[in-house]
Order: sequence, then structure tokens, then C-alpha cells
Amino acid sequence: MARRTPVLKVTALKKAFGPVVIIDGFNLDVAAGEAVALTGRNGAGKSTVLRCLVGADRPDSGTIQVEGLAVSETNPQIRRDVAAVIDDLDFFPDLSVVEHLDLLARAHGVPDPDHAVDEILHEVQLVAQSGQLPPTLSSGERRRLALATAFVRPRKLLILDEPEQRLDVEGVAWLAERLVAERNRGLAIVMASHEPTLVEKVATRVIRLGDRARVEAEA
Amino acid sequence: MAKRTRKPGPGKPSVPVAAAVAAQIPVPEPVEREFFFLPDAEPEPVEAEDLHELMKLWRHGRATRSLGQAISDGYVTVFTILMLGAMITSAVLSAQHGMADCTTGTCASSRLLLPTAVLLGCYAITLGLARLFGPVLVSAAEGSWLLDAPVDRRRLLSGRLVVPLLSAFLLPGLVTGLVAGLTGMDWPAVGIWTLAAAAGSSALVALAAAQQSAERTWLTTLLQNLAGAAALAVIGLVVAVAADKVPSTALSGVDAARWVFLGVAVAALAAGSFWLVLAVRRLNQLRRARLASGGALVSGMQGAMFALDFGLIRDILVERRAAAIGHVRPTRGRGLGLAALIWRDVERLRRNPKMFIGLAVSLFVPYAVDALRLSQLNPLISGLALVAALVPFLGGLRVLSRTGGLARGLPFKTSALRTASMAVPAGVALLWALAAVPAFVGVAGSGADRSLSDALIAALITAAAGLLGGVRWVTAKKVDFGMPMVATQNGAVPPALIFNLLRGIDMVALICAPLILGWSAYLSAVVIVVAFVGLRGSFNAEDLRAEAAAAQRDLDSAKAERTKTKIPPPRR
Repeated sequence: MARRTPVLKVTALKKAFGPVVIIDGFNLDVAAGEAVALTGRNGAGKSTVLRCLVGADRPDSGTIQVEGLAVSETNPQIRRDVAAVIDDLDFFPDLSVVEHLDLLARAHGVPDPDHAVDEILHEVQLVAQSGQLPPTLSSGERRRLALATAFVRPRKLLILDEPEQRLDVEGVAWLAERLVAERNRGLAIVMASHEPTLVEKVATRVIRLGDRARVEAEA
Repeated sequence: MAKRTRKPGPGKPSVPVAAAVAAQIPVPEPVEREFFFLPDAEPEPVEAEDLHELMKLWRHGRATRSLGQAISDGYVTVFTILMLGAMITSAVLSAQHGMADCTTGTCASSRLLLPTAVLLGCYAITLGLARLFGPVLVSAAEGSWLLDAPVDRRRLLSGRLVVPLLSAFLLPGLVTGLVAGLTGMDWPAVGIWTLAAAAGSSALVALAAAQQSAERTWLTTLLQNLAGAAALAVIGLVVAVAADKVPSTALSGVDAARWVFLGVAVAALAAGSFWLVLAVRRLNQLRRARLASGGALVSGMQGAMFALDFGLIRDILVERRAAAIGHVRPTRGRGLGLAALIWRDVERLRRNPKMFIGLAVSLFVPYAVDALRLSQLNPLISGLALVAALVPFLGGLRVLSRTGGLARGLPFKTSALRTASMAVPAGVALLWALAAVPAFVGVAGSGADRSLSDALIAALITAAAGLLGGVRWVTAKKVDFGMPMVATQNGAVPPALIFNLLRGIDMVALICAPLILGWSAYLSAVVIVVAFVGLRGSFNAEDLRAEAAAAQRDLDSAKAERTKTKIPPPRR
């Protein structure tokens, strides 16, 4: 069988903060329909890798390509292809839950935005909160809204940093089902997680990152 | 079940019964502890004074310097305060002498109106701040630890009322007294206006505290709006008198007005005493969440102030207001792509009509400046006023530029996103410019400052300066403390910290400079184009720095490679 073209291709990724090398020589190919889970202890570099993958952080060396395009946070094609839920998601304080989803769906040119928004709103169980402003949402509801922003729009690669965070047991079960469905539809997924059940159900490949960051010896 | 703390008695070892029965299991030696919990015991009353004493003890234990040492270390500060105080007093005295000799109608009316406007402004600001922060508040730590204790909350919090009351008495009194002195009022009148401002402001704080306990805000909101509107009306009157639109003789009655303000001061003292008693009585009813939210706001704003991040301060206030509103009636979006983003900004105008009040006030500025015969400086002053008025209209742009998360989810170039976010505010600025054209013609002053076409150009340039100043203000990046710092007398400071003070102002000054200096308006147009290209994010300084760093890294690695492969010359 011919090998599929990777949606995401990471080559020799290196990222350090000062003398502390967080990740070095990291390679990763993720094809369509594949879900890769990054696991490891706190500080192992999972979030740093994901931030580099979406372009929020710039790697010190190495290349990251999505669909053959070098990742840049400001590239509209990358923004179109990559849906991400990482720790820096912000919301407009004066737009309600449903208005956020509506804006994202329309901005991405979703043909029937009302239907898409209704569907995802029911799925993340935020119908009752649809008119609420983000500062009044609980942390779990904010997380659901963040996930909804990734699912309401077209995407080829889904990047999630601990998506199970603050979700209740039912929420984690729903998320696992949803991610499996996304994967089966041909979406590429890279996620960092501490939830073994989620990893077990969703991931087709698990990468355990190093336990400790290496400290580069100063000459 | 209530819990209590108590020291164990000497004959009461804290070994569980089950452990004693199970003889084969080694029982650990009882540890002498300071306290332990007895879940079924009745709670003992705790005195707030005891807790305060305990806190004082902890703080003393952590103090590294005595008060005398702190003062001697801060002698520069003390010396500066004394010097500045002496200079200000001397300036007030000389101004007072100079202005007291002025007996024209304009001087007399200003003597009455300016301190009155400041007094009313102090009332409005005091009420606004009191409502915003509490006025009674506690820090998060105190909210968690002290308010959980079974203490009399009224006794604990009554001290917390003193600081806002004293501040409201001293600061408005000082400011009003200073302005009254500078306008040349006689000393008894200065005293009356000062007392009216001080007593009135502290009475309003007491009212706000009483309302805080009752969780009502309508009265304080109403009074704040009335005082603010009255202050603006009086300022308008000052301008009208200066422009000879109102006969100054009609407003020169300081003697009559002093009795009115003396009455205000006496009434404020009486009402303030009543509201204070009411507020203290109701302190027990104050919820912890209400108290701690004020403390959280103070600490958040303190943090932002240390970085001079005024944008963050505004973000905190906007988030707080959104949390207070909580729920809105959702509206359906329109259009696809960037049109959807622009439509949301249009919806914002409908949702937040209060923004137009600030815009209306800013529109008053060019007419006031013209009336005061300062038409040459009109673009600069009006442009700065417009920056402040347009910042709320740029809320969408602020959110899209403060963190990358939301912008990353929208499939557009950064420049396209920013341009779309500027579209509605630009429309608002254009309307402002058209409405301000008569002021630039000189209709409020001499009436012959500029031709209609020149006035239109000046108004448009001013509006563009206000818009781009606002954009620069809202797109400010956080101060990067990792960057090389500048040495100052107060220690190392990141350069961005200094520039944060000038953000927006610099843009207005740069764009309006050709107009003020009488140069061609085309120069302003060129500056506007350059500034627009820069502010819409067509080039990103961070990207350029990163590219330079990457190029340097490549160069270094190539050099290292060359060194490795270099063949040493043969030794002879």
C-alpha cells in the first residue's frame, strides 16, 4: 500500500528556553486519519511542541510543514487548515457563546452556518448558555466553547492541548467519541493528554516525551 | 458540622481508638501539635481584634526595616515631596495674587465656574470609583482566611471603610482647593469650595458603602450620571463665556454662590453622617464575593500599572462589565468571510450605545478649543480626545491583537483582519470629522480660521490621527522584560515601558505636526499612509527579529561547519 502524504511533517524540531532545552531532534509525520497522542510528565515539552506546531512559538531549529506549507501563525492557509485548542484561546467579552461560533463559521465560509452552529451547540451542551457572555461561563463551559470553536469550522489538522481538562466524565466520553469520528472522517489529530482512556480510545500512535528537559552545557 | 481549633490538654493524647485496639499494628508516637480539629465541638467566638493582632505579629515578624529606617532610606522621596509641596504652594499663592487683581467679567465667571466644574467632576469620579471597587473591599487572602473565621464581620470591615472615606475627603478637597486658589478666589471662598468637595465626596462614598451592603446601585449610578452631566455642562458654560456666547456678568456672583456651596457642605456632612451610620450597620450583610471582587480588581490593576499596561487595565474593566451584564440576546450574523467580522462590529454599536456618549463629548472638544481661540492646536487636542473616544469602538481589534489564539482561528492575513476591524471605527471617525468641520472653520471662535475645504481636510486628518492613535493604543504588546533594558535612576527599565506612556499620543502628534506647524497637509497624508501600513500589521517587528535571529543562527552553524572541515596547513 502506498504511504499517504503526511498532513503534518515535523523535522528535527528544537526548542529551548534559555539554557534549558525543552525538545531536541523531534520528528513527526501525521497522515490524514491518524491521531497522535503526546504524553509525558509535566514539563516534558508537550505544550511547547503543540505551540510550535500551531506557530504560536517559533522553534529554534527544524521545520514544520502542514500540507507542504511551512507553518506560520499568520499564514491564512495554515489558519484555514489547522484548528487548535491550546492555552492561549481568547474570547470577545461582548459576544455571546452562539455569536462566537456563528462568527467563526461565517468567517470560514461554512455554507449553512446556522445549522452548523446549532449542531455543535447541542453537541457541546451549551444551548442553555448560548446567550451568555464568556466572562460568566464556568471553566468547564469555557473549555466546551473552546472545543466547539475548533469543531464548527472546516479543518484538516486538529491540535489539542489537554482537551479533557475541566471536562466532566460525560464530557470526556463525548470528546473521545467525537475525536474518533473526526479521525475516521480523515482528519489528522495531534493532542497532548494526561487522560489514559482518551489516549487509548483516540490515538493511533502514542509518543511519550522525555521526562526531563536537558540542560545544555555551557561551553 | 462546625470545626474548631483548640490546643490539646496535657492528659489527652490524640491516638485514635481503633489504633489502640489493634495491638499488633505499631502505633506511631503521638506528635505534639499546635492544634487539631474537633469536628463535633461547638465553635468558640473569635474576636476580630485577635485576628488583627495575629496578622500584625506575622507582618512584624517579616519586616526587615523599622519605620525610621524606611523613612531615612526614603529621604529623597520625603525631600521631593517637601520641595514640590513648597513649589506648588508658592505657585498657587502667586497665581492667587495675580488672578485676584483681575476684575473682568470673564475672570469673575471663571472664578465661579472652574472650581464648581472640578467639584462636580470630583463627585462623579468619586462615585464611579466607589462603585467600581466596592468601596469596601478585602484582598483575596483576607477573603479566604479572615472572612471564613466566625468573626463579627462589621467590626472586621469597619476599618476598611476608613481608607476610602479619608481618600474621598482629602483628594477631592485638595484638587478643588487648588483650582479654586488658582482662579483667584478669596481664601474663605476657597475654604468653602474645598469643604463642599471634601464633605460631599466622602458623603457619597458613605452612600455607596450603604448601597453596597444592600446590593443596590441605581441611586449611586443616577447621582454619578447627574454629577458628570452637570460637570460637563459647567465646562460648556466656561467655554461659552470665553467665546462671548454668554454674558460673563451674569455669572460673576461668587458671593451669592458661596452660601449655596456652604449649604452643600453642611448638607453633605449631615447626610454623610447618616449614610455612614447606615453603612456601618449594614457591614455584616456584605457578601464575601462582593468584597473580594473589589480586592481582586485592585490587585489586577496594580499588576497592570506596574507594567504601565493601560490596555490591560481597560481589559480588566471590560471583562468585569461583561461579567456584570452576563447575558445578551444573541443576534444572527451576516455575510461570510471578513464581512461577518465587520458585521459583528456593527452589532457592537447597537449593543453598547454608551460608546457614543464619549464620542459626543469628544466632538465637543474641537468647538471648545476653537472657542478658546486655540484653533492652531485644534487638530492635536481634538485628535487626542478622539483617541480616548474611539478606544471602546476598537474592542474587537483589541481582542484579536492581545493574544494570537482568536486571530489564529480566523482564516485571514493579519493585515486583512486588522483592516476589517478598523472599518467600523473608521466610519465612526469619518462621521466625527464631518460633524467637526464647522469647528475647524472657526464657527465657535472668530469664524475665519480656515476655508471650508481646508477645514474639511484638517478635520479628516484629525479624525485619521485619532483613529490611528486609538489603533496604536489597543494593539500595544505586553512589555517584554526579557529585552535589553535602559538604565534609569529608578533602576533598569524596559524601553517599551516608557513608550507605553506615549502610545497613541505619539501617533496623533506625528500626524498633526504638519498642520500645527503650518506645513502642507500632504505631509500629514503621507504620515497617515505610513502609519496605517505599519499598524495594520503589514510588517511584524517580531517576525523580522525572528528572521534575523534565524539568519544569524544559520551563519553561526555555517561558520562552525567551516571550522570543522578546515584542513590545517602542513607543518614544516
